[in-house]
Amino acid sequence: MKARYLLLLSLLTLTACGADTADERPKVVTTIAMISDVARNVAGDCVQVTPLMGPGVDPHLYEARASDIKRLRDADAILYAGFSLEGQMANVLEKLGSRKPSLAVGPASFDESDLISHEDYAIDPHLWMDVGRWLQIVPSVTEQLVDIAPECEQAMRQRAEQYREELAALDGWIQESIASIPERQRILITAHDAFGYYGLAYDIDVKGIQGISTDSEAAIADIRDMVTTVVERNVPAVFIESTINPRTIESVIDGAGERGHSVRIGGELFSDAMGEEGTAGGTYIGMLRSNTVEIVEGLGGETASWPATLDGWKQRWEP
Amino acid sequence: MIASFFLQPVAMILLTGALVAAAGALVGTFLVLQRNSMLSDAISHSIVFGIVVVWLLTHAQSGPVQILGAALTGVLTVFLTELVAGTRRVKRDAAIGLVFPALFAAGVLLLNLYARDVHIDTHTVLLGEIGFVWLDTMMLGSLELPQAVVWMSVVTLANLIYVLMFYKELKLATFDPQLAAALGFAPTALFYVLLALTSTTAVAAFDAVGAVLFIAFVIVPPATAYLLTDRLSLMLVYSVLIGVASSLSGYPVAVMFDVSVGGTMAAMTGVFFLLAFLLGPRHGLLGREWQRRRGE
Repeated sequence: MKARYLLLLSLLTLTACGADTADERPKVVTTIAMISDVARNVAGDCVQVTPLMGPGVDPHLYEARASDIKRLRDADAILYAGFSLEGQMANVLEKLGSRKPSLAVGPASFDESDLISHEDYAIDPHLWMDVGRWLQIVPSVTEQLVDIAPECEQAMRQRAEQYREELAALDGWIQESIASIPERQRILITAHDAFGYYGLAYDIDVKGIQGISTDSEAAIADIRDMVTTVVERNVPAVFIESTINPRTIESVIDGAGERGHSVRIGGELFSDAMGEEGTAGGTYIGMLRSNTVEIVEGLGGETASWPATLDGWKQRWEP
Repeated sequence: MIASFFLQPVAMILLTGALVAAAGALVGTFLVLQRNSMLSDAISHSIVFGIVVVWLLTHAQSGPVQILGAALTGVLTVFLTELVAGTRRVKRDAAIGLVFPALFAAGVLLLNLYARDVHIDTHTVLLGEIGFVWLDTMMLGSLELPQAVVWMSVVTLANLIYVLMFYKELKLATFDPQLAAALGFAPTALFYVLLALTSTTAVAAFDAVGAVLFIAFVIVPPATAYLLTDRLSLMLVYSVLIGVASSLSGYPVAVMFDVSVGGTMAAMTGVFFLLAFLLGPRHGLLGREWQRRRGE
């Protein structure tokens, strides 16, 4: 009887493992796709990299699917952001750390004293919004990849160096583009506090209506304050993100309208998740580029010319 | 062989699900028969209060103290409900609705005031993740076992012992409380112990399936069994079997559609209920139609 039950269990396990057994490369699983993209750029074809949280998934509220269990079980290494970005999932990843290499790239790459601290949240975890910071995770990601695929070490270190240069060029391009927005209008209004590092790095005021976690409802007083700011600074556009309910932002637009100021909804910004895989917005560079283009155009600036270092990216994604 | 069995993720997910289902069905059968099913919902919510208070006092996030605290909160919920209902100006269902949101709100408030950086938010309490129970292990002798399996086994065993030991008394107290009281069976005490066990089961199940799905396991399998039989002993057996079958079938279905495992297990309890509701031989829609035709 017991043997039969075990047989049944192993059959279930086998059916669960049916797919993609052919790929013999080491496997890395990441939580957010922003980390996956960095890892892929470094790993090339040496390592198979998969994110758990796809396009449009809010990492604060992520829930595991059945296939995620298998992915985590089969992974040779795990990379996650840390600083409580992944909510309760972080507990799971920490426990997994006792069985296989599991790295919180945030705490491993940054000195906490350099980061934005938040009253509700020990540390603002949305580090990918500042490209100059996010490129600092490249070394720790590279070390983890070298550990599980030592035969590719040289090629991976080379690609890591090249990718860092590309990100540095992107950082400069964003800086230059945002600076073209007239100073009074240089204010980014969104429904989510994911843009703290973006504002700090690129010298643009950031006002979020909601608290940093998508859990809290925006208070009515916050919405009223926001309307005042929009009217006084003559803000041409406010922004919605891909992972959040647009209703809060719409109430700001209506409020400004009642006071005779017309403000439009700017393009959609990526905050906690990238775009669909296989599109430009599904790469880290494309995500930041798309956000910057939307912000600069929405607020009356002009984007700088695309850096030559990033021509390769452009040819691949926007031929 | 046995040691490796307890390290198999899929086996542990199924075992945990089956244990939650069995423990839930054992207490749930009596709650459903006493028309008190929603007390399981009330208890699951007000337990947040207990968890926070215990944490503030002892800084224990899990373990026996937390389980004891939760059991007491469950008893407190029922006690307050009976107190409010005892005024006779408020019906029992309304009394439940008054008490548990108050305790839940107090728990959330305390959490926000004193325990912000601690990881016991409402989300963790109400939505566990059965998919990851295999990660959180403890050593029992020389065996490495998932914590959820250990605690759920203890709770299931406790529920089973209680039901077996007091079967006759519980049966009488459920169907004829006046007679039970006259015979000196103390139906109120039996009822409180049952609810303390329900609370304990809820806390132990939180990590595994979360409170919301736990409620499904307490209510739906016994309600399904009630459609199939009128005998209490059979109803207990059917409830446990249906609960366990929901867990075991939930996993492959979750894999097939690639969705949340715990959610699918709970959804399967609904599927079994629907089947019994439609096809049950005596109380099902088809069965009744057949009896009506035969009677004509």
